[in-house]
Amino acid sequence: MVLLLGFFFLPVVLTSVFAFTNMSTATGISGGSYVVTGNLLRSLKDEGLDAKTIDALGQSSYVIDQAGLEKAHAAGVDARFITEIAERLKDRSFTSSTAFERELKTLPSRPTRVRDLKIAAGAFEQSVLNVRYASRGEMEAALTHMLENPPEGAIEKVATASYTGWTWTTENFKNLVITPDTWRIIGNTVFYVVLTLAFNVLVGLFLAITTFYLPPAGSGFFSVLWLLPRITPVVLYAVMWKWFTWEDGFVFNIAQDLGLPAFNYMKGSVASAWTVVILVNGFVGASFGMILFSGALKAIPVQQLWASEVDGASRWQQIRYIILPHMRWPILFVTSYQTLSLLSSYEQIWLTTNGGPGSTTTVWALEAFKTALNNYTGNLQYGLGAAMALILVAVGLILSIVYLRLFRFDEMMSKPKIEF
Amino acid sequence: MQISINNFTKTFDGTPVIDDMNLTIRDGEMLALLGPSGCGKSTTLFTISGIHRMDKGQLMFGDRDVSGLPSQKRNVGVVFQNYALYPHMNVFENIAFPLTVRKDNKADIDREVRFIAALTHISELLERRPGQLSGGQQQRVALARALVRKPDVLLLDEPLANLDAKLRLEMRSEIRRIQLETGITAVLVTHDQVEAMSMCDRIAIMKKGEIVQIDTPADMYSNPRTSFVAGFLGNPPISLLNGIAMGNTFSIAPIKLRVPLGSHEGIADGTPLKLGVRPEHFGPEGDIAVEGKITFAETQGRENLYDVELADGSVLRSIQPAARNWKLGEPVRWFIDSKSAFVFSDDGLRL
Amino acid sequence: MTRNFAAWPIILLLTVLSLPLFIMYLFLLVDTFSNTAPGSLLPNEFTLEHWRFLIDPTITGDVWKPTLTTVIFSASLMIIVVSVSATAGYALSRLALPFRRFVLSGIMVMHAFPSVTLIIGVFLVLQFAGLYNSLTGVILVKASLMLPFGIWIMKGFYDAVPWEIEMAGVQDGASRFTVWRRIILPQVKPGLLSLALFAFIDGWSEYMLPRILAPSSDFEVLSMYLNTVSDPNSSTYNFNIFKSVGLFYTLPVLALFVLFQNRLMNIFGGGTKG
Repeated sequence: MVLLLGFFFLPVVLTSVFAFTNMSTATGISGGSYVVTGNLLRSLKDEGLDAKTIDALGQSSYVIDQAGLEKAHAAGVDARFITEIAERLKDRSFTSSTAFERELKTLPSRPTRVRDLKIAAGAFEQSVLNVRYASRGEMEAALTHMLENPPEGAIEKVATASYTGWTWTTENFKNLVITPDTWRIIGNTVFYVVLTLAFNVLVGLFLAITTFYLPPAGSGFFSVLWLLPRITPVVLYAVMWKWFTWEDGFVFNIAQDLGLPAFNYMKGSVASAWTVVILVNGFVGASFGMILFSGALKAIPVQQLWASEVDGASRWQQIRYIILPHMRWPILFVTSYQTLSLLSSYEQIWLTTNGGPGSTTTVWALEAFKTALNNYTGNLQYGLGAAMALILVAVGLILSIVYLRLFRFDEMMSKPKIEF
Repeated sequence: MQISINNFTKTFDGTPVIDDMNLTIRDGEMLALLGPSGCGKSTTLFTISGIHRMDKGQLMFGDRDVSGLPSQKRNVGVVFQNYALYPHMNVFENIAFPLTVRKDNKADIDREVRFIAALTHISELLERRPGQLSGGQQQRVALARALVRKPDVLLLDEPLANLDAKLRLEMRSEIRRIQLETGITAVLVTHDQVEAMSMCDRIAIMKKGEIVQIDTPADMYSNPRTSFVAGFLGNPPISLLNGIAMGNTFSIAPIKLRVPLGSHEGIADGTPLKLGVRPEHFGPEGDIAVEGKITFAETQGRENLYDVELADGSVLRSIQPAARNWKLGEPVRWFIDSKSAFVFSDDGLRL
Repeated sequence: MTRNFAAWPIILLLTVLSLPLFIMYLFLLVDTFSNTAPGSLLPNEFTLEHWRFLIDPTITGDVWKPTLTTVIFSASLMIIVVSVSATAGYALSRLALPFRRFVLSGIMVMHAFPSVTLIIGVFLVLQFAGLYNSLTGVILVKASLMLPFGIWIMKGFYDAVPWEIEMAGVQDGASRFTVWRRIILPQVKPGLLSLALFAFIDGWSEYMLPRILAPSSDFEVLSMYLNTVSDPNSSTYNFNIFKSVGLFYTLPVLALFVLFQNRLMNIFGGGTKG
């Protein structure tokens, strides 16, 4: 139960939570910190923050104070040298490292090596640049310390911009609505689901009926053959299709021999890529329909079939008037069940065309997955991906509830009969 | 052990099934709960066994209150309608199961199982699996399993329903024999009046969650308290005629039928009444003449069964020795034995 | 059935439809034992060289370590799924638990619900739990995703066991636990076996979860191994070798399927009749 809660309920909640964030690899998934970086300053400048503030932020200054002395001590600077700095330079400040270092060189017990001198100087450096502050308060305090007479609102602006963690946003959904890609992917998804579903149901039905009429040896052969894709591990199944359709693959060679256009059918053209995608998924799904339909066929009382033959019905009439009416519920079931799983499945597409060529065969689930967990730019946008997944989760939930209502929901709920 | 049920009430999902029932089963007696399906007889049985909880009321085994105890702590033996043998255990293991879970020692278990197997005549079947047994044999195994730990009470839920006619006859006397030999208190649930009458010391007839009458089979047959009881016992069943009270007789005016009400005096003229006549109390001999026509005749071998339609369309059933045959359509003038007829009020209560 | 109605066009259509599958699986087998000249379709020599990867780790990397990992993965998955489903299925089928209705509907929705859509959420959960990139994490996730299905199937099997048997057990003085262990569990053995097989096969075939939830870890399951071998961009790419690896990888699944076809049929149908 804990596992179920952990890996069903929690993911659903997290998906919906993260759908409203801008979380990505860059922001990390736990809370962030506050850092002013060179890049940030540049982009702030572009946004029109005044140059004086930016310069000030970019600068370092050197102040001889108690904190600095302790830091120098901790850095292993010679104790006598520290005492001298404390006595002679206490409370002085320098705006550049050269000035400060020049001053240090005048002290009697200065270190001989330049590197040691720089270490000593570094202890007194005060800068916000590239320093990580855990909270916004600390960042603002540091900024206030650094800037003299900052313009109105500048500190708040810099502090907000310097946050590296994720923030709440509804941008994800706005972006989804305005991006033209979204609609194309929805179109792809509908196209894919409808065609694959049609293939599954029609071929499944065809297989069930033909194997029903074939002699046992033949029907056994065909049902096992069609079951193979279902039990073959998906990776192998996908690479077999690659072998079948890839350059130098089976179809490629045949086409070449026949003088037909030979190319990489899996990724070479949009039409062939779609054909492959639909066939790849269709062949897996058809067996599901076949199993269910065969079961339903066997449940038809054989006397009915005998009676219809006695009544002079041809095979076609038998199928039309006796078998198909019996198939109504199984067909409805397969359709709704497969719609749901097709909507959310992307494993086969991912392993075969990977949505290509371009993104012509990319469906919604694949796009969500790629956005969040698997893209080449390296910046995984968990937030946007979660927003896309959330839409699927919502559709999935609604559909599965509808489908449970349709198919014997209460029957499974009967009360336990032992009352003690 | 004496079992008593006091003020027992039970509802399923808001539907009352048993309403304020009281029942006492005497030590060592075999009691039948008889009634049509849905009358609450099985609910009563499973409440005694501890499968169902009482909503209200009290269940006593002797002077021990077991109302709140689960089955495991009640020491009750049950024979289920489909026997409910454990398919993966052989007969010996099935019978030994109650003792094994009680953690008796091996030698005791072996002795007890063999003793009870001998009593139920299945000693040679101990190595078999339930799937290899006939219905009657499964029945015996189920009995043996229920009896092996010497329960305070033996409950039988329609034990003969799944047997064919011949086996049913055989098991009927077998169950009774075993019950008498062990002297155990037993409750039999059945919808078959023949079973109830032939096997039990007393019968409790139930209807819609209430006990209508509880009596010995003979008393119940000869002295039913309601028309429902009269109709439930007896095969072929009793015939009921609708009429009215008129001058201290039961009267159906159109056919000039008048049956004296005898001791039931003071019934206002015109009160609707019912007259119950058992098939053996209507025939060529008797005291109240009735004219009619034979509309149905059935040969049963030793006896013949006739339906006689009276002039007003009501029907009297009759059972007669096969010596003399009446033909279908033949007009007859037969007689009702008025002393054996029952008079019921319109709502079915015996007068 | 008596007359064969205009059978040949139908059978022809069936054959044509089945052809891609037939060719793929036929060549899967043939190519592992033979060599084919470039550009040709038919093999021209018999060879066992494509199976050398079994003993020579220099060809595609050591194959036995991923195999062992896969066995561990599938076996733990099987154990978790079967043991949890066997108990939870019984509880849901037979015991009067609080919130039973609610839990049941929840399980049913989860059963119908396409769990892959949760992968992003699962990914984040694992990150927080610190199980990202670990075999344990992947096993737990895969097991949980399978559980609603397993519980559902087992509940179906339990539902089919007559109540009377259970009542008889209780009547005989056994506790509910004893009744479950000694009486009911033996009745659902076929169900347990089917579920165990299914869980094992499913675990054996799993690719996506290890790939996404443990991409850079030091363990590798066979599916990942196969995918690396069969990447057309990799230097070791060779149709015949990946087919041998693929066949090697698939053989246990095929063997189990052939042995237990009838038991698995029901479950492969989505457990809808269970």
